[in-house]
Amino acid sequence: MNAITKMESMLHGMDARARQPVITHEDVDRAHDRALVSAARARGGKFSRLRLLWLLVGPGILVMLGENDGPSMISYAATGAQFGIGFFLPFIVLTFVMAIVVQEMTVRLAAVTQRGHAELIFDRFGPFWGWFAMIDLGLGNFLTLIAEFIAVRAGLGFFGVPPWAAVLSALTILYLALMTHRYWTWERLTLAAALFNLVFIPIALLTHPDWRSVGHALAGWKPLPGGLNKDVLLILLANIGATVTPWMLFFQQSATVDKGLTTRDIRYGRFDTILGATLASLAALGMVLATTPLFVHQMSATHLQAGEFAQALQPIIGRFGAALFALGIVEAGIVAAITISTSSAYAFGEVSRRPHSLNLPFAEGKAFYSVVFLCAAAAAAIVVIPGLPLVKVVMIVNVIAVLAMPPALVFLFMLVNDKEIMGSFVSPRWANLLATTVVVVLVTAGVLFGLSVIAPAAFDRFASQVTRTLSAL
Amino acid sequence: MIEETNTDRRTGSLEQELVLSSLESGQLAEAKKPFPRRTLGASQTLVLWFMRIYVLFMMAVVIYQIWSGAGN
Repeated sequence: MNAITKMESMLHGMDARARQPVITHEDVDRAHDRALVSAARARGGKFSRLRLLWLLVGPGILVMLGENDGPSMISYAATGAQFGIGFFLPFIVLTFVMAIVVQEMTVRLAAVTQRGHAELIFDRFGPFWGWFAMIDLGLGNFLTLIAEFIAVRAGLGFFGVPPWAAVLSALTILYLALMTHRYWTWERLTLAAALFNLVFIPIALLTHPDWRSVGHALAGWKPLPGGLNKDVLLILLANIGATVTPWMLFFQQSATVDKGLTTRDIRYGRFDTILGATLASLAALGMVLATTPLFVHQMSATHLQAGEFAQALQPIIGRFGAALFALGIVEAGIVAAITISTSSAYAFGEVSRRPHSLNLPFAEGKAFYSVVFLCAAAAAAIVVIPGLPLVKVVMIVNVIAVLAMPPALVFLFMLVNDKEIMGSFVSPRWANLLATTVVVVLVTAGVLFGLSVIAPAAFDRFASQVTRTLSAL
Repeated sequence: MIEETNTDRRTGSLEQELVLSSLESGQLAEAKKPFPRRTLGASQTLVLWFMRIYVLFMMAVVIYQIWSGAGN
């Protein structure tokens, strides 16, 4: 071989190498997971479908059970204790239907574009609108994280654990989950922890609910107890905010990309979302039923917090039931702290164009893991400062989530109808109609809340008019 | 400098094969390029501004509520 031929073959080799795609550690990990999916798909048959389900579910269940977080469970507890089940059982089911409509769009966006939500907003709308969305997300996530650690503190407080130890143990669990450096392991560990949310179902059973009343409540929607007033409006907002919030959009889309779902898996992503919503709604309904005895026995529960609910229920469900209740609140706080801080880190990585995956080894994903941990640590530190008005934070978190949701939904709505990136996967007309209804409901609820704060007299007039009209129907 | 062994090279090429056969090209982390910016119509810009004003106003309402609650 002469020198020219040798050089030509060297150049050819270099060119071929340059054309080869760069393969990262996260690609290799994701490919291992996807190889299992391909193998299950190739096998065919009923069992392969079950295997595919097992492999492909995750983000939907995590996001729904993650949103059954500390403030949400406390809102459901307050709902049952103050208003009973008549109006609110079907209302809560409806909020989960809303959540399915909204979250399904993030599955489609993720599978088609293979991009996270923050990344898509920045790419398609530019940094001006992108930063607004990020500020909404960052502020909402941070306040919610504080509320999660308050829940952990209150739940473990039932067992006499001091606040610093409670917060530190929650941070340790979050750290240990992250240290797996593998999306699959992280997802399965967090899922296992999240399923403990269902503990509110046996707790509800311990209160011996009147199943006929439950059936009547679900089948025939009763009017608002005492009509529409400021307290009812706040609990309505808290219940909506307990089911649909901006972090859920960012989390599920990014986690679906990280998991590696493609357009072939959308069906399974939908099933994952519906399954998650079903499990989460059962836990939420369980919580409402569990605290309804406080309403039935007319015990004052207006200012009860997580640990106090457990104490108030102890005469009805016993020490064991109360302890389970407190542990359920702790789980709700810890799982949500994990998922919410991860959603912040995904968004940060997507916007700063740094690697952002739970498959990253620590050396490659320092920034990503640091955001997860620092967000959680900062929120945890605030919770242990003595004398801070923690109760107010918990009360206001879900309200802020509802208020910040319409702009987030508008971005989602515009992205999922963007033909340039979605092609044939744009939303069908019925889905757009449902999504528009959700935006209108949320804006109306927000405007009514604003009216109740700024012009209480005008709100009272409006509320009594609505109550009269509803009772006339 | 770390010397690449034959085993490393073989593992590397096996992994590359696995990645290329299991992932779609759009899933490769380093291959993702930003999507081009979309052109917003007047009505879309109006909706985005309306939502921005709405959320800022509502946040002010929340702050007012906290502040007035603290005074009580």
